[in-house]
Amino acid sequence: MKKLLPILLVLMMLCSTAFAAGFEVPAEGYDGSEVTITFCTQQGTALQEVTANYIAEFNKLYPNIHVEHTTQGSYDDVRDQIVTDISVGAQPNVAYCYPDHVALYNLAKAVQTLDELIDSKVEVTRADGTTEILGLTDEQKADFIEGYYEEGRQYGDGLMYTMPFSKSTEVLYYDKTFFEANGIAVPTTWEEMEQVCAKIKEIDPESIPLGYDSEANWFITMCEQYNSPYTSATGEHYLFNNEQNRAFVKMFNEWYNKGYLTTQKLYGAYTSGLFTATTGVRSYMSIGSSAGSKYQRPAANADGSYPFEVGIATIPQVSSDNRKVISQGPSVCIFKKNNPQEVIASWLFVKFLTTSVDFQAEFSMASGYVPVIKSVTDNAVYADFLAQADGGDYVAALSTKVCLEQADAYYTSPAFVGSSTARDQVAALLSKCLTLTGDDVDAQIEAAFEEAIEECEYAN
Amino acid sequence: MVNSKDHWKAWLYLSPAIVLLLIFTVWPIINTVRMSLLEGYSGLKAASGASFEFGLGNFVKVIKYRKFLTCLQNTVLLCLWTVPISTILALLIAVALNSIKFLQKALQTVFFLPYVTNSIAIGMVFAAMFNIVGSFYGTENEIVVTAGIINNIIEFFGGSRVNWINYGSTYTANMVVMIVYIVWNALPFKILILLGGLQAINKQYYEAARVDSTPRWRVFTRITVPLVSPMLAYVIITGFIGGFKEYTSIVGIFGETMGPPNDGGRLNTMVGFIYDSLSNNSQGRASAAALILFGIILVVTLINLWVSKKRVHY
Amino acid sequence: MEKQVVMSARKYRAQFLRQKGGKALSLFGVYFFLILMALVVLFPFYWMLISSVKTLEEYRLSVPTFWPRVLMLENYLTAFTTAKLGRLFMNTMIVGLVSTILSLFITILTAFAFARLEFKGKELLFAALLATMMIPGELFTITNYGTVTAFGWKNTYTVLIVPFLVSVFYIYLLRQSFLQIPNELYLAAKVDGTKDWKYLWKVMVPLSLPTLISITILKMMGAWNSYIWPRLVANDDAHRLITNGLRSAFTDTTGDVNYPVQMAAVALVSAPLFLVFVFLRKYIMTGVSRSGIKG
Repeated sequence: MKKLLPILLVLMMLCSTAFAAGFEVPAEGYDGSEVTITFCTQQGTALQEVTANYIAEFNKLYPNIHVEHTTQGSYDDVRDQIVTDISVGAQPNVAYCYPDHVALYNLAKAVQTLDELIDSKVEVTRADGTTEILGLTDEQKADFIEGYYEEGRQYGDGLMYTMPFSKSTEVLYYDKTFFEANGIAVPTTWEEMEQVCAKIKEIDPESIPLGYDSEANWFITMCEQYNSPYTSATGEHYLFNNEQNRAFVKMFNEWYNKGYLTTQKLYGAYTSGLFTATTGVRSYMSIGSSAGSKYQRPAANADGSYPFEVGIATIPQVSSDNRKVISQGPSVCIFKKNNPQEVIASWLFVKFLTTSVDFQAEFSMASGYVPVIKSVTDNAVYADFLAQADGGDYVAALSTKVCLEQADAYYTSPAFVGSSTARDQVAALLSKCLTLTGDDVDAQIEAAFEEAIEECEYAN
Repeated sequence: MVNSKDHWKAWLYLSPAIVLLLIFTVWPIINTVRMSLLEGYSGLKAASGASFEFGLGNFVKVIKYRKFLTCLQNTVLLCLWTVPISTILALLIAVALNSIKFLQKALQTVFFLPYVTNSIAIGMVFAAMFNIVGSFYGTENEIVVTAGIINNIIEFFGGSRVNWINYGSTYTANMVVMIVYIVWNALPFKILILLGGLQAINKQYYEAARVDSTPRWRVFTRITVPLVSPMLAYVIITGFIGGFKEYTSIVGIFGETMGPPNDGGRLNTMVGFIYDSLSNNSQGRASAAALILFGIILVVTLINLWVSKKRVHY
Repeated sequence: MEKQVVMSARKYRAQFLRQKGGKALSLFGVYFFLILMALVVLFPFYWMLISSVKTLEEYRLSVPTFWPRVLMLENYLTAFTTAKLGRLFMNTMIVGLVSTILSLFITILTAFAFARLEFKGKELLFAALLATMMIPGELFTITNYGTVTAFGWKNTYTVLIVPFLVSVFYIYLLRQSFLQIPNELYLAAKVDGTKDWKYLWKVMVPLSLPTLISITILKMMGAWNSYIWPRLVANDDAHRLITNGLRSAFTDTTGDVNYPVQMAAVALVSAPLFLVFVFLRKYIMTGVSRSGIKG
């Protein structure tokens, strides 16, 4: 004990001095010194291999930057690990992150803002003798899909905290064979969606026309599409209890009571299971992650054909003037360190992975995620991959293609400590409200909203 | 009687354990108390150099939480149901196993199997057994894709389907599922310990009882139970301590919502509450809740120890 | 008179037969009960096995199937190759064995002190030990993480072994077992001039063998299932333990897990444990009948 206390005291002092604001880019940029940086992700074995190949590529340019790749089982595990690391001053250099994770790390002011690095014009010499500027060129900046890039600035102070790494969104999967056979047009607005549901219910009364996987995404996306408040990173955080939001919840409650739709929590299983069913109760539309397209395809027949063809489209909108689809998937952030060379090295590594056409293409094909830069179509292999897109064997390519085509519609919601609580609460709120019945549904919905706000505020 | 040389020797025997406990248990406890007394303490804020006021604010905040009583009630109810049920059932199984010859080895092996069955598998199986897949219950559109194995069995015997864990399910139904799951989970450990205790009982006692043709029930209550009473005391006391720390089993069945979709948090427990606070990085609040829980368990354990001192035969 | 004797003999015989019948009936009851419970206990194990040979599509069906439609034995091959099971297995064995041996040693010493030695504050100290069990361990994690980082123990075997060597659960369990050994034996040994140390290892430890083996199993299982702490402190390839490896190897970027392959991996790593139990069962269950000590 006597020995331990001084150690801990020293440790605490180290923690408190380690973090100074902003990053001052050294005049010489990267000085070529030996540095080891840790990269913390959630990648499974297959993706680790892709990453390892490109770490090797990176090392051809910067042989003295050693990258140690550590992995965790889930995004939450990554967060928990890093929170603990930060508490003892042992955070990694680069890590996968979601916006609410970064908000949490920011409590400790542990995340390095990237603006100085992005804007730096310092020249850096690579091992092969060529040079690059430390920051991003204008072409590189413009190459990022805007909605993905802007996610890095969702923290209320206008500063850039993260770089997009690999993204996904929600898409509408529909049974193309059924739609064509019955002459149904794919719904592009919620109004049309209601009509399509009614029509499907007429044709197949045993069905649940639409399955929506994520209640939280649904609620937040509706807020965005209606332009009504959800949360704010500054000032009053929880703004989602308003008339507009209660109105759309009421509307979906009516749909639910007509038997039009279900969600994962309400159904009690993956709604994709309902969509891929070919007998009994089934759904003909399913809204789910674009990265999960392989789960939305029915099991193949003995001859390798599929019982029906899967169609993929942008999710329905409130109005075509304000198209909004959620942006999900990991970004990466860089942590503050006492040695500026570690930060520079981390940035060079992040820049390499996020701007490398080959890496983005290969990672996308291996993961089902969408690349974050537009020029990836320049990659011949990737272009071939996209060209194969169909509703059967190459459904993953089809899903990626749809995502790339709606590049202007991505939004991200504000990130702050407690933003994940808000997400959990609106998910519970929506599923609760959908099932309400009786004469006083309005009053019940109002009460449920108030309770959700109260829960959010307690957590802060 | 007790001389100073014995003291010295006892401490020597205890020293390895005490050194390790000081570093890895006592120091964390001191730190927990410290965090609980710093208002709004958060490890991350502390890492950035923030300072916190000294006070009881964390305790006040925990007790004032409107679902605090729900958490407490769930924790206590689960304990009061699961500990007696699992102990009695484990004792019956252990005694039965000990009394047979044919198939004894095979059955012993079977009752050990849950140990090598990974917890991931067990959680998924239980959720699947009680889960109803379908939608729109209670409306004219009601659709049931599958009612779950348990409901199938109930319907087979002419009963009617119960909504166990899905939305609209009752608190009682939820609790029944949790009790079944927790008892199931607790059984193998208790069987192992009790069987170990039974095997150590000298056969002469039973032979004497047989000569006197003592009825089975009396043999059980007058010989078996008293002789395994130290092991019984152990499984009951640790059962209560574990029971008050129930959390993962509820996540296993209900997921992070800790309740059916229409009433999240309905089955939350004290440790669940602590976890929620930790994931918000409110270590101060989590510590305060942990100390409150600690106080409760301490009282219960003291009662247990007091009872066992009167009842256990060594 | 004679009639009466015959009567009572007949009565006795009837009673005897009834007893025998009753015994057969109760034996049937015992088996019925045991087999019913066994089936209940077996079900998740069966589920693990059938899930491990399902295709991912079949696994995700809304209506679970009780027998796989297609037998995907490849899952086992995939599990073995993607998770680097060999290394994970070896790490777990090293940590499991070393920590079990050290932990047994410490537990025996401590339990002996509490069961047989007299010292001031014994009751109080034991109550304090029990009390430490009651604090949810999650709260220890952060402080302990700070401690081992300060010690420079991250990514070593030490960090996986040392912090959990003392388990109050096991000390308590063994103390209960030690207390059952009659005091007369100890006093007799004292009169003979046998040292405490020798008495502990020559008499008490052999007599408590079933409990010690139970502890061994529990401790080994602990190494097998430990997750949160190893994940935090030793997550590099050289030291990663089995549960960690299994949890992370089969997740894809969406966070979806390939459960059938994961189940196959779980079944693979469970097999050695199962064999160890079958092998050790004899020792656990035969107990100490040979000792001739009156309980």
